[in-house]
Amino acid sequence: MIFWRRKTREEELDEELRAHLSMAAQTRMERGADRQEAERAARREFGNVGLVKEVTRDAWGGRWLGDLLDDARYGLRMLAKNPGFTAVAMLTLALGIGSNTAVFSLIDALLLRSLAVPAPRELVHISFGPLGTKGPLSGPMFDRLRERQSAFTDLFAWTNAPMVLTEKGAARPITGAYATGSAFPTLKLKPRLGRLLNWQDDELGGSSNGIAAVISEAFWMEHFGGDPHVLGQPITVDGGTATIVGVMPRSFNGITVDYAPQVVLPFAFDVALHGKSSCRFRADCTWFSPMARLKPSVGFAQAKADLATISGDVLRESLPSNYARVDYLRYGILSLTPGRTGNSPLGEIYGRELWTLQALVGLLMIICCANLASLELSRTLNRQHELVVRSALGAGRLRLVRQLVAESAILALAGAAAGIVLSQWLSSLLVGYIEQSDFPVFLDLRPDAATFAATIALATLTVILAGVLPALSLTRVDTEEVLRSGAQRTVARKRHPFAASLLPVQVALSLLLASLALLFATSTGKLLRMDPGFRVKGITLFDVDFARRPEKGEARLDLYRRMLEALRQASGVEAASVIAARPLGEGGMDESAAPVEGNGPETKHLFENVVGPEYFATAGTKVLAGREFSQFDRFGRTPVCILNQAAASFFFPRQNALGKHIRSTEGDAKGDGCEVIAVVADAKYLSLREPAPPTIYYPYAQLPSLNWAGFITRSHDASGAVAAFKSALRRFAPDTPLLPPITMQRQLEDSIGKERLTAALSLFFGGLALLLTSLGLYGLESQRVAQRTAEIGLRMALGAQGKDVHWLVLRETAVVFAIGVPIGLALTFAASHFIAALLYEISPLDPRIHFVAVVTLLGAGFLASSIPARRAMNVDPMVALRYE
Amino acid sequence: MIRGERVPEKKERYQNRIELLQGTLDLLILQTLQWGPQHGYGISVAIRNRSGEILQVDTGSLYPALHRLEKQKWIKAEWKVSENKQRAKYYQLTAAGKKQLSRERTKWSQLSDAIAGVLNPEQM
Repeated sequence: MIFWRRKTREEELDEELRAHLSMAAQTRMERGADRQEAERAARREFGNVGLVKEVTRDAWGGRWLGDLLDDARYGLRMLAKNPGFTAVAMLTLALGIGSNTAVFSLIDALLLRSLAVPAPRELVHISFGPLGTKGPLSGPMFDRLRERQSAFTDLFAWTNAPMVLTEKGAARPITGAYATGSAFPTLKLKPRLGRLLNWQDDELGGSSNGIAAVISEAFWMEHFGGDPHVLGQPITVDGGTATIVGVMPRSFNGITVDYAPQVVLPFAFDVALHGKSSCRFRADCTWFSPMARLKPSVGFAQAKADLATISGDVLRESLPSNYARVDYLRYGILSLTPGRTGNSPLGEIYGRELWTLQALVGLLMIICCANLASLELSRTLNRQHELVVRSALGAGRLRLVRQLVAESAILALAGAAAGIVLSQWLSSLLVGYIEQSDFPVFLDLRPDAATFAATIALATLTVILAGVLPALSLTRVDTEEVLRSGAQRTVARKRHPFAASLLPVQVALSLLLASLALLFATSTGKLLRMDPGFRVKGITLFDVDFARRPEKGEARLDLYRRMLEALRQASGVEAASVIAARPLGEGGMDESAAPVEGNGPETKHLFENVVGPEYFATAGTKVLAGREFSQFDRFGRTPVCILNQAAASFFFPRQNALGKHIRSTEGDAKGDGCEVIAVVADAKYLSLREPAPPTIYYPYAQLPSLNWAGFITRSHDASGAVAAFKSALRRFAPDTPLLPPITMQRQLEDSIGKERLTAALSLFFGGLALLLTSLGLYGLESQRVAQRTAEIGLRMALGAQGKDVHWLVLRETAVVFAIGVPIGLALTFAASHFIAALLYEISPLDPRIHFVAVVTLLGAGFLASSIPARRAMNVDPMVALRYE
Repeated sequence: MIRGERVPEKKERYQNRIELLQGTLDLLILQTLQWGPQHGYGISVAIRNRSGEILQVDTGSLYPALHRLEKQKWIKAEWKVSENKQRAKYYQLTAAGKKQLSRERTKWSQLSDAIAGVLNPEQM
């Protein structure tokens, strides 16, 4: 409305003043003056019409808005007039803002965002484990703690557990969670539909209506089409049946940021399924990740002190009698950590890498700003004449500055918009690196208020750095001097000190980014190329879930045997075996505390794996002495085991380990233990970065209670093996869900996801930094050559050779590097302390890396400035001088 | 506030003029409009004539003042056709403007009395 009114008001003012002039002229004509004379006199008396309009508009108020529109309109026109500059500037901004927003939105989602519950700051995590670790509690620990505590309004336990949903006869994996009845009341959540779980639901056996379940809104929509009659319907999960009593609100996605449970069940459900063997009441089974809500009157420190006073009693009453023999129970303590953001396992894994990346993109942003500022500056220098003319025509300095700022603001807004689009793409790329293939990551990456605030803050910062600073320095120009000099470009203007200081900064930061990128890439390359002690190519791993098969004990072993047989006979499968804990797997690590007694008194913590016959041949791990497990190593025969070299040389140094016995001291193990029948080469277990741990292998066929081992195949291509596995599963265990298979290649890549993430992104950002700096150098030198055409022409007329002129230009680039490179090296050395921990088998000070980085940077820089240098060489002295 | 004197040889015709005190222009405009609706040019002519050619209102002050008074709702404007068939914007006093005029007049007479007192103390 304002705009419309402004227009008519403008026209009215116009007409009002015209009327004034014509009436004044009329009066004069009536007194006898001729028309021309009268009009001229009237106008003379009136004064400057434009100025009168200007001051009258001032009286309207709200003028800044109109001016702003004028500024914006003019700014757009100026930007459109210079599409090259606009494109480069917008691209620079979009890259800077986009990469920052992408990394930040991931950090926000993984580390910063609060749980969507009322007063999330009151929430705390309670954990159990050796000092500095955050492990789960056992059921009894939780119960005793709940009885004794007084600092919390209540506490609850929550355990994420992938489940199998049986629906219309088909089984499929879903994301599930167990919660104590106190969970939803303590979280203070309101249901989307129906009701949420309460303490009655967690009574053993559930209420008279059976066991209650709540589902997520997404699951409700997907499976029940958002039908409100879903309440009261049965749902079959993990072989048991529960009744749906409510739907959780959409904003609540569980208490783990990357895991959104579709179904939440009370722990009573697990008790109903497993009876006495349920983890719920077992003292040796740590399964509960409790959270609590602080009483409003109790601070975090006080709650911590409270927990410290009662934890001794709680542990005494809840630890199993044999706990002293189990490491993780012996050294465990209860500890309290803030719980505002919920659990973030991914955040814990990737936190350091993400903040490193954020620092890198922050530096990139500085380079972007510097680039933008020098672009703006050189453009403003070219516009100096225009600015001076405008200021001579009466535009105030403030007005001019505002004009320049308006242009920057338009650029910043457009750049921010483009950057947000770019960040969406980059974010999905980032999540792709973080996502492990065996389980989809649930991440809410919608940019929220915090991300938008960060983006806007960045854009504003850019405006100030790139637009206002050059503007301020430029409007200080002496109007008369520039006007007196007359011509558009004769004055060989002095190089602007601000612009001159930007480029070495860019060079230094680019060098830092390039060095870091090379370090991360080299380190990751080393990880990818290292020999892990097993084959990577052609290996496919399959998880199975036989928990609900009727076969138990030996019948279960027979099921494995038949599956294995079928796999081996399938065409395309070269070898197959059984494996329990897959190498480099995330969750399947069986870190069994197994101190083993050799023939000496020493015990040692061992990593344990359970494998089938011909496992080592299939996996490609060398058997150094002895024989593999065979089909004859069965239940009831002599217990056998295989050690890796690290374990063998620990227990039997300088001896032959074959035929020796070792015994697990864990739990109630008795007897002679097992006979070592082979020593195999060391193979990586938990992670590529750590040396292979001492490992003991047991034959699966001697462990009838084992129900979670999977299969491993070697084949020319993975699809053949997958097809063979599917058909075998259909034949022997048709009701079991098909869990997604994974190739060893993917498993290995997943296991170094954060290294690959850091390497790929730092290479990307390093490349961008090089590109931007080269652009900056190119821009600056082009500018300089254009300004000095006359000087160059004169020099050539006086006998300077092409190569002298070439050097004249390159010399400036050389000066930039001479300042920037040492600063960059110093920065890199200063940063080396922080990144050393992120690197694998390479020193952050490795001179080869820095040499390559410097050479690359020099190459790119001189390439960029040699284009304007060549242009300078081709200056025709006659043309140049005549032009002036 | 009285603006600085102009350099005489540059602008001869300004010599005999007195610059208006800040705020007095509003008073003069309101007073002029008391005799009926008038357009900007008419107001400037009226002020000049009634002051015996001494007060010359600068258009650069007149129009901002008119628009400001209109915004304050002391005067209102209407487009009319003048006696010379010229479409012009006529201003006229509102009720609020009449009150404002009397306030301004009181203020002015107080001010001029006060200044007179300072200049000629013996007459008080």
